[in-house]
Amino acid sequence: MALPLETLKARASGDAHLARFGMDFDCALLVGDGETDWLVRIERGEVASVAKGPFIMPKTDLRLRAASDTWSKFLAPVPPPGYHDLLALRRYRRLQIEGDIRLMSAYLFYLKRLFALLRPPSA
Amino acid sequence: MNAMREPITGYYLNLAVLGRPHRLYIEEAGSGIPLLCLHTAGSDSRQYRGVMNDPEILRDFRVICFDMPWHGKSSPPEGWQTEEYRLTSAEYARMILEVCDALALERPVAMGCSIGGRIALVLAMQHAARFRAIVGLQSGASIDPYYELTWFHHPQVHGGEASAAYVSGLMSPTSPDADRWETLWHYMQSGPGIFKGDLYFYRGADGDIRDRLGAIDTTVCPLYLLTGEYDYSVSPEDTRQAAERIAGARFAVMPKLGHFPMSENPALFLTYLRPVLAEIRSRA
Repeated sequence: MALPLETLKARASGDAHLARFGMDFDCALLVGDGETDWLVRIERGEVASVAKGPFIMPKTDLRLRAASDTWSKFLAPVPPPGYHDLLALRRYRRLQIEGDIRLMSAYLFYLKRLFALLRPPSA
Repeated sequence: MNAMREPITGYYLNLAVLGRPHRLYIEEAGSGIPLLCLHTAGSDSRQYRGVMNDPEILRDFRVICFDMPWHGKSSPPEGWQTEEYRLTSAEYARMILEVCDALALERPVAMGCSIGGRIALVLAMQHAARFRAIVGLQSGASIDPYYELTWFHHPQVHGGEASAAYVSGLMSPTSPDADRWETLWHYMQSGPGIFKGDLYFYRGADGDIRDRLGAIDTTVCPLYLLTGEYDYSVSPEDTRQAAERIAGARFAVMPKLGHFPMSENPALFLTYLRPVLAEIRSRA
Protein backbone atom coordinates (compact mmCIF):
# COMPACT_ATOMS: atom_id res chain seq x y z
CA MET A 1 0.00 0.00 0.00
CA ALA A 2 1.38 3.36 -0.99
CA LEU A 3 1.40 6.16 1.53
CA PRO A 4 -1.69 8.30 0.84
CA LEU A 5 0.41 11.45 0.78
CA GLU A 6 -1.80 13.04 -1.87
CA THR A 7 -4.51 13.28 0.80
CA LEU A 8 -2.25 14.68 3.52
CA LYS A 9 -3.02 18.33 3.01
CA ALA A 10 -6.75 17.73 3.35
CA ARG A 11 -6.30 15.45 6.36
CA ALA A 12 -4.06 18.00 8.10
CA SER A 13 -6.31 20.95 7.45
CA GLY A 14 -7.89 22.18 10.68
CA ASP A 15 -6.33 19.44 12.81
CA ALA A 16 -6.25 20.59 16.43
CA HIS A 17 -3.13 18.58 17.36
CA LEU A 18 -1.10 20.08 14.54
CA ALA A 19 -2.30 23.54 15.53
CA ARG A 20 -1.32 22.89 19.17
CA PHE A 21 2.21 21.66 18.43
CA GLY A 22 3.06 23.41 15.17
CA MET A 23 3.86 26.91 16.39
CA ASP A 24 6.24 28.61 13.92
CA PHE A 25 7.07 25.30 12.21
CA ASP A 26 8.65 25.61 8.78
CA CYS A 27 9.99 22.44 7.18
CA ALA A 28 10.72 20.89 3.82
CA LEU A 29 10.00 17.24 4.63
CA LEU A 30 10.93 14.46 2.24
CA VAL A 31 8.98 11.21 2.72
CA GLY A 32 9.90 8.05 0.85
CA ASP A 33 8.65 4.48 0.59
CA GLY A 34 11.52 3.06 -1.44
CA GLU A 35 9.87 3.69 -4.80
CA THR A 36 8.34 7.14 -4.54
CA ASP A 37 9.44 10.32 -2.83
CA TRP A 38 7.11 13.10 -1.77
CA LEU A 39 8.07 16.59 -0.68
CA VAL A 40 5.83 18.01 2.03
CA ARG A 41 6.16 21.74 2.59
CA ILE A 42 5.12 22.88 6.04
CA GLU A 43 4.81 26.62 6.49
CA ARG A 44 3.96 28.26 9.80
CA GLY A 45 2.60 24.95 11.04
CA GLU A 46 0.37 24.27 8.05
CA VAL A 47 0.81 21.75 5.27
CA ALA A 48 1.22 24.17 2.37
CA SER A 49 1.85 21.65 -0.41
CA VAL A 50 2.67 18.03 -1.17
CA ALA A 51 4.55 17.24 -4.38
CA LYS A 52 5.25 13.80 -5.79
CA GLY A 53 8.78 13.01 -7.01
CA PRO A 54 11.10 12.09 -8.47
CA PHE A 55 13.17 15.13 -7.55
CA ILE A 56 16.59 15.91 -8.95
CA MET A 57 18.26 17.74 -6.08
CA PRO A 58 15.59 18.68 -3.56
CA LYS A 59 16.48 21.09 -0.78
CA THR A 60 15.10 19.46 2.37
CA ASP A 61 15.25 19.89 6.13
CA LEU A 62 14.21 16.35 7.07
CA ARG A 63 14.10 13.07 5.20
CA LEU A 64 12.11 10.07 6.45
CA ARG A 65 12.24 6.90 4.40
CA ALA A 66 10.99 3.38 5.04
CA ALA A 67 10.11 0.40 2.89
CA SER A 68 6.60 0.21 1.50
CA ASP A 69 5.64 -2.83 3.62
CA THR A 70 6.86 -1.04 6.76
CA TRP A 71 4.58 1.91 6.03
CA SER A 72 1.71 -0.51 5.34
CA LYS A 73 2.01 -1.97 8.84
CA PHE A 74 2.43 1.51 10.32
CA LEU A 75 -0.83 2.58 8.68
CA ALA A 76 -2.94 -0.20 10.23
CA PRO A 77 -5.75 1.20 12.41
CA VAL A 78 -4.12 -0.56 15.39
CA PRO A 79 -0.53 -1.17 14.25
CA PRO A 80 1.40 -4.14 15.66
CA PRO A 81 4.06 -3.44 18.33
CA GLY A 82 7.19 -2.02 16.74
CA TYR A 83 5.24 -0.47 13.86
CA HIS A 84 3.03 1.89 15.84
CA ASP A 85 5.25 4.98 16.05
CA LEU A 86 7.94 6.73 14.01
CA LEU A 87 10.56 6.12 16.69
CA ALA A 88 9.45 2.50 17.03
CA LEU A 89 10.30 2.14 13.34
CA ARG A 90 13.63 3.83 14.02
CA ARG A 91 14.36 1.59 17.04
CA TYR A 92 14.10 -1.50 14.86
CA ARG A 93 16.04 0.18 12.02
CA ARG A 94 13.03 0.22 9.72
CA LEU A 95 12.99 3.99 9.25
CA GLN A 96 15.82 6.15 7.99
CA ILE A 97 15.84 9.60 9.57
CA GLU A 98 18.19 12.22 8.13
CA GLY A 99 18.50 15.96 8.36
CA ASP A 100 17.92 18.55 11.04
CA ILE A 101 17.37 16.45 14.17
CA ARG A 102 17.05 19.58 16.29
CA LEU A 103 14.07 20.61 14.20
CA MET A 104 12.63 17.11 14.37
CA SER A 105 13.00 17.04 18.16
CA ALA A 106 11.40 20.45 18.60
CA TYR A 107 8.39 19.43 16.49
CA LEU A 108 8.23 15.69 17.12
CA PHE A 109 4.64 15.77 18.39
CA TYR A 110 3.65 17.54 15.17
CA LEU A 111 5.51 15.08 12.96
CA LYS A 112 4.12 12.04 14.77
CA ARG A 113 0.62 13.43 14.41
CA LEU A 114 1.16 14.21 10.72
CA PHE A 115 2.02 10.58 9.99
CA ALA A 116 -0.74 9.25 12.24
CA LEU A 117 -3.22 11.26 10.15
CA LEU A 118 -2.38 9.00 7.20
CA ARG A 119 -4.07 6.09 8.99
CA PRO A 120 -7.67 5.30 8.13
CA PRO A 121 -10.07 7.01 10.54
CA SER A 122 -10.84 4.78 13.51
CA ALA A 123 -14.24 3.11 13.46
CA MET B 1 -19.67 16.29 38.86
CA ASN B 2 -19.51 15.57 42.59
CA ALA B 3 -16.24 16.29 44.35
CA MET B 4 -14.39 13.11 45.34
CA ARG B 5 -11.39 13.07 47.66
CA GLU B 6 -8.83 10.40 46.81
CA PRO B 7 -7.36 8.20 49.55
CA ILE B 8 -3.85 9.60 48.89
CA THR B 9 -1.99 11.69 51.45
CA GLY B 10 1.00 13.80 50.48
CA TYR B 11 3.68 15.22 52.78
CA TYR B 12 7.22 16.54 52.77
CA LEU B 13 10.13 14.77 54.40
CA ASN B 14 13.36 16.57 55.24
CA LEU B 15 16.26 14.15 55.28
CA ALA B 16 19.82 13.62 54.12
CA VAL B 17 20.01 11.98 50.70
CA LEU B 18 23.43 11.14 49.32
CA GLY B 19 24.99 13.21 52.09
CA ARG B 20 23.07 16.43 51.37
CA PRO B 21 19.94 17.92 52.92
CA HIS B 22 16.87 17.28 50.80
CA ARG B 23 13.17 18.09 50.91
CA LEU B 24 11.31 15.16 49.37
CA TYR B 25 7.67 14.93 48.46
CA ILE B 26 6.04 11.63 49.40
CA GLU B 27 2.59 10.18 48.83
CA GLU B 28 0.99 7.33 50.74
CA ALA B 29 -2.25 5.39 50.62
CA GLY B 30 -3.52 2.23 52.28
CA SER B 31 -2.17 0.17 55.14
CA GLY B 32 -0.35 -3.11 55.59
CA ILE B 33 2.69 -4.42 53.76
CA PRO B 34 4.77 -1.44 52.58
CA LEU B 35 4.91 -1.19 48.78
CA LEU B 36 7.47 1.36 47.62
CA CYS B 37 6.87 2.56 44.04
CA LEU B 38 9.58 4.10 41.86
CA HIS B 39 8.63 6.39 38.99
CA THR B 40 10.27 6.56 35.56
CA ALA B 41 12.98 8.94 34.34
CA GLY B 42 11.91 12.57 34.15
CA SER B 43 8.52 11.95 35.76
CA ASP B 44 7.08 11.71 39.27
CA SER B 45 4.82 9.80 41.66
CA ARG B 46 1.61 10.75 39.88
CA GLN B 47 2.32 7.82 37.57
CA TYR B 48 1.09 5.50 40.34
CA ARG B 49 -2.26 7.25 40.83
CA GLY B 50 -4.11 4.11 39.70
CA VAL B 51 -2.34 1.82 42.18
CA MET B 52 -2.86 4.36 44.97
CA ASN B 53 -6.58 4.52 44.27
CA ASP B 54 -7.26 0.79 44.10
CA PRO B 55 -9.31 -0.32 47.13
CA GLU B 56 -8.25 -3.95 46.73
CA ILE B 57 -4.54 -3.10 46.94
CA LEU B 58 -4.99 -0.47 49.66
CA ARG B 59 -6.70 -3.03 51.88
CA ASP B 60 -3.48 -5.02 52.27
CA PHE B 61 -0.69 -2.67 51.20
CA ARG B 62 0.67 0.65 52.39
CA VAL B 63 1.59 2.14 49.02
CA ILE B 64 4.38 4.73 49.21
CA CYS B 65 5.72 6.84 46.35
CA PHE B 66 8.42 9.45 46.56
CA ASP B 67 9.37 12.01 43.98
CA MET B 68 13.10 11.60 43.48
CA PRO B 69 15.23 14.66 44.23
CA TRP B 70 14.93 17.13 41.30
CA HIS B 71 11.58 15.53 40.31
CA GLY B 72 7.94 16.40 40.84
CA LYS B 73 7.45 18.38 44.03
CA SER B 74 10.82 17.36 45.50
CA SER B 75 13.37 20.14 45.34
CA PRO B 76 16.83 19.89 43.90
CA PRO B 77 19.59 20.23 46.52
CA GLU B 78 20.92 23.64 47.45
CA GLY B 79 23.47 24.76 44.86
CA TRP B 80 21.72 23.01 41.95
CA GLN B 81 22.07 26.06 39.74
CA THR B 82 25.73 25.35 39.05
CA GLU B 83 25.44 21.58 38.70
CA GLU B 84 24.53 19.21 35.91
CA TYR B 85 22.18 16.53 37.20
CA ARG B 86 23.49 13.05 36.45
CA LEU B 87 22.11 9.98 38.17
CA THR B 88 24.40 7.01 38.76
CA SER B 89 23.36 3.47 39.56
CA ALA B 90 25.04 3.52 43.01
CA GLU B 91 23.42 6.85 43.95
CA TYR B 92 20.00 5.68 42.85
CA ALA B 93 20.17 2.47 44.90
CA ARG B 94 21.53 4.31 47.94
CA MET B 95 18.79 6.95 47.71
CA ILE B 96 16.09 4.28 47.79
CA LEU B 97 17.63 2.63 50.86
CA GLU B 98 17.93 6.01 52.60
CA VAL B 99 14.24 6.72 52.01
CA CYS B 100 13.35 3.23 53.30
CA ASP B 101 15.42 3.90 56.44
CA ALA B 102 13.98 7.36 57.00
CA LEU B 103 10.43 5.96 56.79
CA ALA B 104 11.42 2.91 58.87
CA LEU B 105 10.01 0.58 56.21
CA GLU B 106 10.49 -3.01 57.25
CA ARG B 107 11.24 -5.24 54.28
CA PRO B 108 9.00 -3.39 51.83
CA VAL B 109 8.02 -4.63 48.43
CA ALA B 110 9.80 -2.48 45.84
CA MET B 111 8.22 -1.83 42.46
CA GLY B 112 9.88 0.32 39.82
CA CYS B 113 9.30 1.11 36.17
CA SER B 114 11.83 1.77 33.40
CA ILE B 115 14.85 3.28 35.21
CA GLY B 116 12.97 2.12 38.31
CA GLY B 117 12.74 -1.30 36.71
CA ARG B 118 16.47 -1.32 36.11
CA ILE B 119 17.27 -0.28 39.67
CA ALA B 120 14.84 -2.94 40.85
CA LEU B 121 17.23 -5.48 39.32
CA VAL B 122 20.15 -3.78 41.08
CA LEU B 123 18.29 -3.89 44.40
CA ALA B 124 17.58 -7.58 43.83
CA MET B 125 21.25 -8.14 43.10
CA GLN B 126 22.78 -6.12 45.93
CA HIS B 127 20.17 -5.68 48.66
CA ALA B 128 17.80 -8.62 48.35
CA ALA B 129 17.54 -9.18 52.11
CA ARG B 130 16.15 -5.66 52.56
CA PHE B 131 13.04 -6.41 50.48
CA ARG B 132 10.09 -8.76 50.77
CA ALA B 133 9.72 -8.95 47.01
CA ILE B 134 10.71 -6.89 43.99
CA VAL B 135 8.52 -6.09 41.00
CA GLY B 136 10.21 -4.78 37.87
CA LEU B 137 8.05 -3.05 35.28
CA GLN B 138 9.68 -2.65 31.87
CA SER B 139 12.90 -4.03 33.33
CA GLY B 140 15.88 -4.58 31.08
CA ALA B 141 19.55 -5.11 31.87
CA SER B 142 20.73 -2.64 29.22
CA ILE B 143 19.31 -0.52 26.44
CA ASP B 144 19.84 -0.31 22.71
CA PRO B 145 20.30 3.44 22.04
CA TYR B 146 18.12 4.57 19.17
CA TYR B 147 17.92 8.30 19.93
CA GLU B 148 20.19 11.21 20.88
CA LEU B 149 20.02 12.73 24.35
CA THR B 150 21.20 16.14 23.13
CA TRP B 151 17.78 17.59 22.45
CA PHE B 152 16.27 16.77 25.83
CA HIS B 153 18.21 19.70 27.27
CA HIS B 154 19.04 22.42 24.79
CA PRO B 155 18.15 26.12 24.72
CA GLN B 156 16.67 25.82 21.22
CA VAL B 157 14.25 22.99 22.05
CA HIS B 158 11.55 22.81 24.71
CA GLY B 159 12.97 19.94 26.76
CA GLY B 160 9.67 18.98 28.34
CA GLU B 161 7.80 18.76 25.07
CA ALA B 162 10.70 17.03 23.31
CA SER B 163 11.05 14.46 26.10
CA ALA B 164 7.32 13.83 26.09
CA ALA B 165 7.27 13.49 22.30
CA TYR B 166 10.16 11.02 22.34
CA VAL B 167 8.48 8.78 24.94
CA SER B 168 4.94 9.18 23.60
CA GLY B 169 5.22 6.26 21.20
CA LEU B 170 6.33 3.91 23.96
CA MET B 171 2.71 3.59 25.06
CA SER B 172 0.16 1.26 23.55
CA PRO B 173 -2.06 2.84 20.89
CA THR B 174 -4.94 1.11 22.67
CA SER B 175 -4.37 2.92 25.99
CA PRO B 176 -6.96 5.60 26.80
CA ASP B 177 -6.18 9.03 25.40
CA ALA B 178 -6.75 10.76 28.73
CA ASP B 179 -4.25 8.57 30.59
CA ARG B 180 -1.67 8.74 27.81
CA TRP B 181 -1.78 12.53 27.74
CA GLU B 182 -1.73 12.70 31.55
CA THR B 183 1.45 10.61 31.42
CA LEU B 184 2.94 12.99 28.85
CA TRP B 185 2.00 16.05 30.88
CA HIS B 186 4.20 14.78 33.70
CA TYR B 187 7.08 14.63 31.23
CA MET B 188 6.37 18.12 29.99
CA GLN B 189 6.57 19.39 33.58
CA SER B 190 9.97 17.86 34.24
CA GLY B 191 12.78 20.22 35.24
CA PRO B 192 15.32 21.16 32.59
CA GLY B 193 17.84 18.38 31.95
CA ILE B 194 16.30 15.97 34.44
CA PHE B 195 15.06 13.34 31.99
CA LYS B 196 18.47 13.43 30.32
CA GLY B 197 20.25 13.21 33.69
CA ASP B 198 18.21 10.18 34.73
CA LEU B 199 19.20 8.41 31.55
CA TYR B 200 22.89 8.89 32.34
CA PHE B 201 23.13 5.64 34.28
CA TYR B 202 20.39 3.97 32.29
CA ARG B 203 22.03 4.22 28.89
CA GLY B 204 25.68 4.14 29.91
CA ALA B 205 28.13 1.45 30.92
CA ASP B 206 27.39 2.21 34.58
CA GLY B 207 23.90 0.80 34.27
CA ASP B 208 24.61 -2.17 31.98
CA ILE B 209 24.14 -5.19 34.24
CA ARG B 210 23.74 -7.93 31.65
CA ASP B 211 26.74 -9.86 32.92
CA ARG B 212 25.78 -9.55 36.59
CA LEU B 213 22.21 -10.81 36.58
CA GLY B 214 23.26 -14.31 37.65
CA ALA B 215 24.08 -12.89 41.10
CA ILE B 216 20.38 -12.35 41.82
CA ASP B 217 19.09 -14.89 44.35
CA THR B 218 15.31 -15.11 44.11
CA THR B 219 15.16 -17.47 47.08
CA VAL B 220 16.13 -14.48 49.25
CA CYS B 221 13.78 -12.06 47.48
CA PRO B 222 11.19 -13.13 44.89
CA LEU B 223 11.46 -11.20 41.61
CA TYR B 224 8.54 -10.49 39.27
CA LEU B 225 9.09 -8.90 35.87
CA LEU B 226 6.14 -7.48 33.93
CA THR B 227 6.59 -5.84 30.53
CA GLY B 228 4.07 -4.18 28.23
CA GLU B 229 4.08 -5.47 24.66
CA TYR B 230 4.18 -2.08 22.90
CA ASP B 231 7.35 -0.89 24.64
CA TYR B 232 10.23 -0.64 22.17
CA SER B 233 12.64 0.92 24.66
CA VAL B 234 12.48 -2.15 26.91
CA SER B 235 10.74 -4.68 24.72
CA PRO B 236 9.27 -7.94 26.00
CA GLU B 237 12.22 -9.65 24.35
CA ASP B 238 14.65 -7.47 26.35
CA THR B 239 13.00 -8.47 29.62
CA ARG B 240 12.80 -12.10 28.53
CA GLN B 241 16.54 -12.15 27.93
CA ALA B 242 17.16 -10.68 31.39
CA ALA B 243 14.75 -13.12 33.04
CA GLU B 244 16.46 -16.08 31.41
CA ARG B 245 19.65 -15.17 33.27
CA ILE B 246 17.96 -15.06 36.67
CA ALA B 247 17.03 -18.39 38.23
CA GLY B 248 13.52 -18.24 39.63
CA ALA B 249 12.55 -14.90 38.09
CA ARG B 250 8.89 -14.74 37.11
CA PHE B 251 8.27 -13.01 33.78
CA ALA B 252 5.05 -12.08 32.04
CA VAL B 253 4.22 -9.96 29.00
CA MET B 254 1.35 -7.51 29.44
CA PRO B 255 -0.63 -7.31 26.18
CA LYS B 256 -2.05 -3.92 25.18
CA LEU B 257 0.30 -2.01 27.47
CA GLY B 258 3.53 -0.14 26.82
CA HIS B 259 6.38 1.49 28.72
CA PHE B 260 4.20 3.22 31.36
CA PRO B 261 1.74 0.48 32.32
CA MET B 262 0.68 1.94 35.68
CA SER B 263 0.05 5.37 34.14
CA GLU B 264 -1.02 4.85 30.52
CA ASN B 265 -3.83 2.44 31.39
CA PRO B 266 -4.15 2.03 35.18
CA ALA B 267 -7.30 -0.12 35.01
CA LEU B 268 -5.74 -2.69 32.70
CA PHE B 269 -2.42 -2.66 34.60
CA LEU B 270 -4.18 -3.44 37.86
CA THR B 271 -5.49 -6.68 36.37
CA TYR B 272 -1.87 -7.80 35.96
CA LEU B 273 -0.58 -6.38 39.24
CA ARG B 274 -3.25 -7.57 41.68
CA PRO B 275 -2.45 -11.32 41.27
CA VAL B 276 1.27 -10.61 41.74
CA LEU B 277 0.62 -8.66 44.94
CA ALA B 278 -1.79 -11.37 46.14
CA GLU B 279 0.94 -13.96 45.69
CA ILE B 280 3.46 -11.76 47.54
CA ARG B 281 0.98 -11.31 50.36
CA SER B 282 0.31 -15.05 50.60
CA ARG B 283 4.05 -15.66 51.07
CA ALA B 284 4.19 -13.19 53.95
